Amino acid sequence: MAFDPNREDYQRLGLRFARSLDGEGPIAAARAFSGFGRRFTQERDGLPQTDADRAFHLVALATELIDYRLPFANEDTGDKIIGRAHALLDEALQLDPGCPDARRMKRAADIPSFEGYYDYLRQGADEVRAQCEGQLLKEGPRSSVERGGLLSELALRPYLRWLAALASKAIVCGHNREALRAGERLLELDGEDSADVRFTMAIAHAKLEDEQGLEELARRCSQMDCVRQRGGEDAWLLLSRCALAHKRRDMDEARRIVRRLCESYPHAALTLLAQRELPDGVFARLAMPPFSEDELILAVSECTVLLQEGRDVSGHGAFGAWVRKEASLLVPEEDRAESLEILAQGPGGDADEQGGRH
Amino acid sequence: MGLRDEWVQRIARKRGEKMGLSTAGHSELLLAVREKPQDFVDDPAEEAFGLMVSALERYESSRGDDDLLDDDEFLETRAQRMRRMRADCNEALALDPSCAQARLCLCIAADTHPDATLDLLFDVERGCEASLGPLTPDAAHDAWDDVFVRPRLRVKAAIARSCLESARYRMASAVSSELLGLSPADELGARHSCALALSRLEDEEGFDALDARVSRRGDSWAALGRVILLFKLGRLAAARRALRGFDRLCEGGVYALLRPVLIDTYMPDRPLFAPYSFEEATLAVHEADPIIVDVPDLPAWVESQQDMLARAKAFADRSGFDW
Repeated sequence: MAFDPNREDYQRLGLRFARSLDGEGPIAAARAFSGFGRRFTQERDGLPQTDADRAFHLVALATELIDYRLPFANEDTGDKIIGRAHALLDEALQLDPGCPDARRMKRAADIPSFEGYYDYLRQGADEVRAQCEGQLLKEGPRSSVERGGLLSELALRPYLRWLAALASKAIVCGHNREALRAGERLLELDGEDSADVRFTMAIAHAKLEDEQGLEELARRCSQMDCVRQRGGEDAWLLLSRCALAHKRRDMDEARRIVRRLCESYPHAALTLLAQRELPDGVFARLAMPPFSEDELILAVSECTVLLQEGRDVSGHGAFGAWVRKEASLLVPEEDRAESLEILAQGPGGDADEQGGRH
Repeated sequence: MGLRDEWVQRIARKRGEKMGLSTAGHSELLLAVREKPQDFVDDPAEEAFGLMVSALERYESSRGDDDLLDDDEFLETRAQRMRRMRADCNEALALDPSCAQARLCLCIAADTHPDATLDLLFDVERGCEASLGPLTPDAAHDAWDDVFVRPRLRVKAAIARSCLESARYRMASAVSSELLGLSPADELGARHSCALALSRLEDEEGFDALDARVSRRGDSWAALGRVILLFKLGRLAAARRALRGFDRLCEGGVYALLRPVLIDTYMPDRPLFAPYSFEEATLAVHEADPIIVDVPDLPAWVESQQDMLARAKAFADRSGFDW
C-alpha cells in the first residue's frame, strides 16, 4: 500500500482535531467532527495543528511535486518543479528543523553519491527512531486507547520510511545483507509492513541467491494481515523468484513465472520488454494500485539490480536480456505495435550502452 | 609451451603403455616425442589434439598487434580470429568428435552471450560424462596429473567463469569448489572464480573457508575479493586494511582497479602471470568487473582512502601509463 502523504496529512490533523474535542459531549463532538473534511480542504490553516503538522503538510506538497510530477516533466518545467519542491522542504525545516521526512528528502538531493546518501541514512537511523519515540511519549499519555494505535503509528512512520529508504539504498550500493537487516528492523516495528519493505527484501534475498531466505520471507508475508494478500503474489516476489530460477538454470520455472506475471498484470509483456529504470520515490515508494500496470513498472525498475547484472553485449544484463526475449514471445496482439517500438530502442532508451566500467 | 608439452605427454603415455615401458624407458621416450611429436602420433585423437595445439598457438600469436588497432579494426580482426578458431576446432572434431579441447574452444569461439556460452559448455560437459563417466574426487590423486583429464577440467573452469559472467554466483562457487576437490593443485585457478563469487554473495564464512582450503595461498583475486566483501558488509576499517594489503601485494593493483581495461575472452584458459604482478591484478579486476559495477561507489571509496590515488598515479607515471 506504500505511504500516501496526503492521506497521512489528513490523518494527522484529523487526530489532532478529534483530541481537541475531548471533554465535549459526544453529540457536540460528532457534530464538530462532521465538518472536519470540509475544513481540511478549505481552511486548513484554521484547524488546530503544531509546527510539525504544518511541516508535514509541506512535505506532502513537495512529495506531490518530486515523486509524482517530476518524472513526467520536461527539462525546463523539471527545474521549476525541483525549485518549488525544495523551497517547500526548506520552509518545512524552518517550521520543524527535526522533521525526518524533510531532512531525508533534502539530503537525497544534496548528497551526490549513492554511498554517501546510504551512509547518511544508516548513521541517522537511531537518532530518528529516538526522535519518533520521543514524540510519541510527549503526546501519548493524553490519548485514549483507541486513538493510541493511530497516534503511535503516525509518530513512527517517519522512522519506518527512513528504514525503508535505507534498505532500498543499501541494495543499490551493493550492501544486500545490510538491506535485509534494515528490513528486519522495520518488520519488527510494523508487522503489517505498511512500508512494503518485503518487496525490497525479496530483491536482497535474490541478490544473495538465498532461496531459503526468500521462501521464508514469502511464508511470513503470506500470514501478514494486510489488504494486498487477496491479490496473490506480488511482482517483486515473482521477479525475485524468476531471477533465482534463471540463476540456477531452471528455465522452465523461470518461464512459468514470466507467464504468471503476464497473467497478473495488465500489459506486463510490454513492461518486461521495456525494463524502464525510474528514479525511486524520494518520500517513499510511489503509491500505485496493487496489480496495476504502474505497479509492475515500479517493480521492474527496482529489480534493475537483478536484471542488469552480468556481462551482456546488448547492455541488458544476462537476466534482463533473457526476460526481454521471453516477454517478446508473450506480447498480445493489441500491444504488438508498441512492442516493436520498444524493441527498436536500446536499454533505458540508449541505443548501445554496455555494462561494465570501460 | 604448456599445451604443446601436454600433447607430448599424452603421446608418450599412449605409446609407452603400448610398449610396456619402465620409468627410465618412459623418460627417454618422452625426450624423443618432445623432439618430433608428430612422428609418434598414430591415432586420430592425438592428431586432433595436435591441431588444437597449433590452432591455439596461432590464435595467441595473432593477438600481438591488437593494441595498435582502432576499435573497428580490432573488432574485425577479432571476428576473423574467432572464425579461424571455429574452423580449426571443426577440423579437429572431424578427426576426433570427442576431442574435449576442441569442443571447449568451439564454445568460446562461438562468441555469443554468457547464457548461451554456458549452455554450450554444459553440453560439452554432459557429453564427456556420457562417454567417459563422471569425474570423482580421489584423495590420492590430483585429477590434473592425468593429462587426458585436463581438457575436462578446463571445461569446468570455463563453466565457473561463465557462471560469474552471467551473474550465477552460487553456481560459480559450486562448480569451482567441485573443481578444487578434483584438483587441489588448482592449475586452472578455480579458487579465483570462487573467491570472487563468494565476495559478491557477501559470504564471509565461505570466503574464509575457501582461503583456509587453499592453504591461504593468496593471490590478486583473493586480495581484491576481500576488499569487495568487507566493503559490501560495511566493515570499513577492515576493508581499508584489506585495500592496503591489496595495494602492497599487487603491483599496480589500485591502478588496475581504478583504470579498468578491456580484456579479451580467455581462449580457453586464463593466461598465467606471476603472482601479484600487475598483469595478474589486471585480470583479477577484469573478472571482478561485473561485481564491482554492482557496488557502484567502491572505486570512489578506494580513491578517497589515504594515499591510494597518489600511489595509483605514481604507478602510472613509473610505468608510462596514461592516467
